[in-house]
Order: sequence, then C-alpha cells, then structure tokens
Amino acid sequence: MAATTEQQELTGSPAGPRRRGTGRVAAAVSVFGELLITAGLVLGLFVVYSLWWTNVIADRKADRQGDKVRDSWAQEEKGGPVAYDSKNGIGFLHVPDMTGDEILVEKGTTSKVLNDGVAGYYTDPVKAALPTSGKKGNFSLAAHRDGHGAKFHNIHKLKKGDPIVFETKDKWYVYKVYGILPETSKYNVKVLGAVPKESGRTKAGHYITLTTCTPIYTSRYRYVVWGELDRVEKVDDQRTPPKELSGS
Amino acid sequence: MYGWIWRHLPGNAWVKALLSLVLVVAVVYVLFQYVFPWAEPLLPFNDVTVDNQ
Repeated sequence: MAATTEQQELTGSPAGPRRRGTGRVAAAVSVFGELLITAGLVLGLFVVYSLWWTNVIADRKADRQGDKVRDSWAQEEKGGPVAYDSKNGIGFLHVPDMTGDEILVEKGTTSKVLNDGVAGYYTDPVKAALPTSGKKGNFSLAAHRDGHGAKFHNIHKLKKGDPIVFETKDKWYVYKVYGILPETSKYNVKVLGAVPKESGRTKAGHYITLTTCTPIYTSRYRYVVWGELDRVEKVDDQRTPPKELSGS
Repeated sequence: MYGWIWRHLPGNAWVKALLSLVLVVAVVYVLFQYVFPWAEPLLPFNDVTVDNQ
C-alpha cells in the first residue's frame, strides 16, 4: 500500500497545469498499474484463502461435529436419551500412514458437506455400502486434497498393505489397502462400483474406496485408493484402538 | 487511485495510516467472508468426487 502510494505521487505529481496532457496520460497509466497490482494482491489473497483459511474454518467445524458424535456415543453408552443424528456423522476414519488426525465421515459428497473438513460417503452417482450394514459392497468416500481441511492431502503416501480403520460406536472396521489408481478421469464412476474391477477384484466383498483430486492444487484427475476389509473388532470399554493404530 | 484515497483521508499522516489500515482490513474481511466463498465453486480447483456429469 505504502509503496504504491509513493509511486502514485511520483508519477502523479508532475501533472501541474503546465503539462496537463502528459499528466493525464501518466495518471491513467498509474491508475491502470495500480489496478494490476491490486489484482495481483487479490489473487495472492485467494491462494492464502484456499490453502490456509478454509483449513482453519473446516478443522474448527469438523472438530465441533466430531465432538458431538463422540458425545452422543458416550450418552448412548450410559443409556441416556439417544441424541444420535446421522447428520453429524457416522464414524471416524483413521489412516495413520496418511494423517495423524481422525477424519469424521458424513453422508454425501456435495461441497457443502465436504467443505466442513470431513470425508463424505457417496450417495450419488453410486450409493456407498455402509460397513455398518454388514452387506457386501463398496464403502466409497471422498474428501478434499487441498483446502477445506485437506483431509486426503497425503493420499499418495498410502501403499499396499497400509491400514484404513473405520471407527463406529461399537466396532472397528480394519481395511487393508490393496489397489491404487494414481490418475483417472473424473467421469470414471466405475471405481465406486460394488466390485471395483479396475482394482483387480472380481468377486463381491467388503471394499473401501477413497477418492480425491490429483495432482495436488488442481482437480484435473482423480486419485483412487482401494482397500478390503481385513477384520472387524468390537470396541471395548476403553475404546482401545486396534493394533494398527496403537503405533501412532 | 491509492494516492487519491490517501489525499482524501482526513487528519495527519498517522491518522491517515491508521484509516488506511482499517480500510485494508475491511477489504480483506469482505474478500474472505463473501467474495472468495462465492468465487471458489466457480473455479475448477477443488472438485474431488467422481461423477458422470
């Protein structure tokens, strides 16, 4: 701001009555220059907004909603009135090789849901099969790679065999990564199929699919990680996490 | 433009500087609170789902 003001005064001051013509041109050029500088600053601020501020907002919201879910679980445990509201989320995703934080899982993959810093399970175009239903199918999820919590930012760090654990009120669903598709079209809805053929599986099973955008900072392609259910553990009184998580 | 604003702000240099700061903060607030959230979905940076549209 100060620099541009000086510049304006330097270029603008010779605009005395003597040299009115050149003064006008100089003034017009300097206003144009200032508009360009302003545009640059606004774009810079937009980057700050996208990559930092949306994370602050989203993490705050996700924490609040996650606390509500845990509170309602605790209340249910005590036998109190059930204030369970699936709108607040159905459980938590733990992926220690991707992030040390837990990721709240909510219904839907609209930007309104995902912008709260959560992972959403698909309801459209292919409906996700929830692990809690016990049925075979694909538990397909999406979350942001950058901004809005950036919950799947480090999805590229996942390797075959890494655990993906989904925590619900009374069960730990432990999945193991078995397939990775580093780049696919955003129209490739087959990756969400009940039997995701591209992952190499041909029989029905309990699958989990994580989708996000790639490369980082853009959304030209989609990154897909598939996992298969390894086992289901019951949650004990202390909510002792399964051994895959105890290291973190 | 900025020179024009500076000249039209009342007070001495310190008051002007303070008012400028207030203006900058106000502009950043409006951008972060209203303009960017509106612009973001219109830009192709943050689509993470696969769909058939």
